[in-house]
Amino acid sequence: MGYRPRLAKRMLFNRRGSLIGAVLAVTIGILVIHVNFVIFQGLYDAIVRDIGDYRTGDIIVTDEDSFITKSELAVASWFERNPSVEAVAPRISASAEINITKSGRLIEETRVPVVGVDPYRDIKASTVHTTVSDGSYVFARNSVVLGTNVARDLGGATVGDSIKLMVVDRWGEEQIRRLVVSGIASSPGGQGFDYSAVMHIHTLRDMMARDGETGSFMVKMADEGQAAAVRDLFLRSFPSDDFVAETIEEASEEQLQGFRSGIAMINMIGYFGMMSSAFAIVTIQMMIVNGKTREIGILRALGARRRDVLVIFIMQGMLIGAIGAGVGTAAGLSYTFYAKETKMSFNNSLPLEVSYDWAKILQTALMSFALAILASLYPSYRATRLVPVEAMRAV
Amino acid sequence: MLRARSVTKSYGQDATRVTALRDASFDIRRGEFVLIVGASGSGKTTLLNMIGLLSSPTSGRVIIEGVDTTRLDSSGMAAFRNRRLGFVAQFANLLVDLTILENVMLPRQIAGGGWSRGGRPRRDALELLRSVGLEAQAAQRANKVSGGQAQRAAIARGLINRPSIVLADEPTGNLDSVSSESVVRLMKDTARRLNQTFVVVTHDREYFGEVDRVITVSDGRVYEEEEEDGRRAPGPGGRQGGAAAAAAATAPVVPAPAPTAARQREVLP
Repeated sequence: MGYRPRLAKRMLFNRRGSLIGAVLAVTIGILVIHVNFVIFQGLYDAIVRDIGDYRTGDIIVTDEDSFITKSELAVASWFERNPSVEAVAPRISASAEINITKSGRLIEETRVPVVGVDPYRDIKASTVHTTVSDGSYVFARNSVVLGTNVARDLGGATVGDSIKLMVVDRWGEEQIRRLVVSGIASSPGGQGFDYSAVMHIHTLRDMMARDGETGSFMVKMADEGQAAAVRDLFLRSFPSDDFVAETIEEASEEQLQGFRSGIAMINMIGYFGMMSSAFAIVTIQMMIVNGKTREIGILRALGARRRDVLVIFIMQGMLIGAIGAGVGTAAGLSYTFYAKETKMSFNNSLPLEVSYDWAKILQTALMSFALAILASLYPSYRATRLVPVEAMRAV
Repeated sequence: MLRARSVTKSYGQDATRVTALRDASFDIRRGEFVLIVGASGSGKTTLLNMIGLLSSPTSGRVIIEGVDTTRLDSSGMAAFRNRRLGFVAQFANLLVDLTILENVMLPRQIAGGGWSRGGRPRRDALELLRSVGLEAQAAQRANKVSGGQAQRAAIARGLINRPSIVLADEPTGNLDSVSSESVVRLMKDTARRLNQTFVVVTHDREYFGEVDRVITVSDGRVYEEEEEDGRRAPGPGGRQGGAAAAAAATAPVVPAPAPTAARQREVLP
């Protein structure tokens, strides 16, 4: 090892307070980025996960204008033949009025979104059934699952209660059915059916006078990476139909755009945090340079060139960057690991979708390292400007 | 070996101009042990700094071994200081982050030598430490030794690159009388053994006893230059000093550093 790295290391390590301060600055910068990533990217991914799990699957097929008239069996069979597809579930939606008589009092709730599902297909393609915390899913044709908020608005409807549900059919006629509440659905995060009612697809089709028609097909992929390819193949296979097939990202684009902007902003804040770490390093390095004025003078008197002094202090920046990036990344990964293992929730409700984005982790570490070096440039330059004879007078 | 010609050093401009050294001309010959004496603020350290290339004269020339050092740029001066000059300061000026051995090796490292165990720089540094009686302290941090030991280490460091001149600024100024005598004895022995030129700025004239020459600086003027035996010093381009000439044949303890590419490239005007 040459004298410059040795001296850089010794000068830095013999000033533990400065070293710890500088490393902490880098560490905190990285940790902020990691925590932001775990929370906000985790939140975003959790929302995408829930949208996919509850509403769209990995691909959602709808009709360009209205309802899909092609046979449910034909569409489902086409998808199920593809080995990349795990399951397909048809759904149909409407708006309903629901009323219930509780303790002799009629309680009415209007404009409740109601979704018709094929329970046997749906439990393979979606996880809505898992949100039924009380009772069971809509396996019976005269059953209904009420979202927890709908149940609350209906005066605290519970499993076993009887409700009246009215929809307007395609001919404008009101169709009323009496249904039994089989379960109450509750899911955190706002993407579930807390404000909706779920019922059997056949019953809803019947009420809407849309026999054999389907509102949408949600397709769950065994291999999510193939979603776009399967969608393209599907659209090519049915060129004369007015199908619209979208991947989850496309279908939720509008909804997710806002979240993405939010995450970008939070990330910006994180990077600003990292920048302030760089300022902390500048300050600490300046302190080190000021504290080493005499040594710099001695080195220069002994024949070290300005370049050598510059290299010594830049090497200190590299050391701070390397140690800080290492400690910060380790701390960030520990936090991520903790969040993943404890199934950390946002606001104690929505479980975050925690993942290790290795590219981003590496990028953050490298950026911190580079920033630490950049932050060392000015103090290093200042060190080179010291006049040896004056520097040696410093005590 | 060293020729100073009309060397003047001024600070400030116009009305605030202060001249610290005025029109100094003198020669120093190889192997001489020269004292620069004078009252505080007389300009002797200014003179030493210019000989040592730590500051540049406002006018005049300092020629060392044929090189007009006033014409060197910053890198050239750094290289010259490293290879041709050795420094010993009042406070030893060792780097406290390094051991005594590493401090002694440092000028050689700056010149391009390695740190390797068993390498030539280390062997030479250990040899020098042995010669100044500090072999046992080689592995100690520089801030763990006494002032006298630190000054001895600084002398060893000043000799590691086998310089043309060792410049010492008040080497006894911070030491007790016992340590001062020991350090002076070491410098004089080294000068004799290695035919090493020493230029020493001091207030403590009495510690040095007989020396080759004394240069007195007063009010910024080098107005007296005499040999210790009372003869006037010769003019520019003078002869070999008496004591130095006698010691010239003595074999050096410290081998000269191996020539490096940088050293070979160094073309002196």
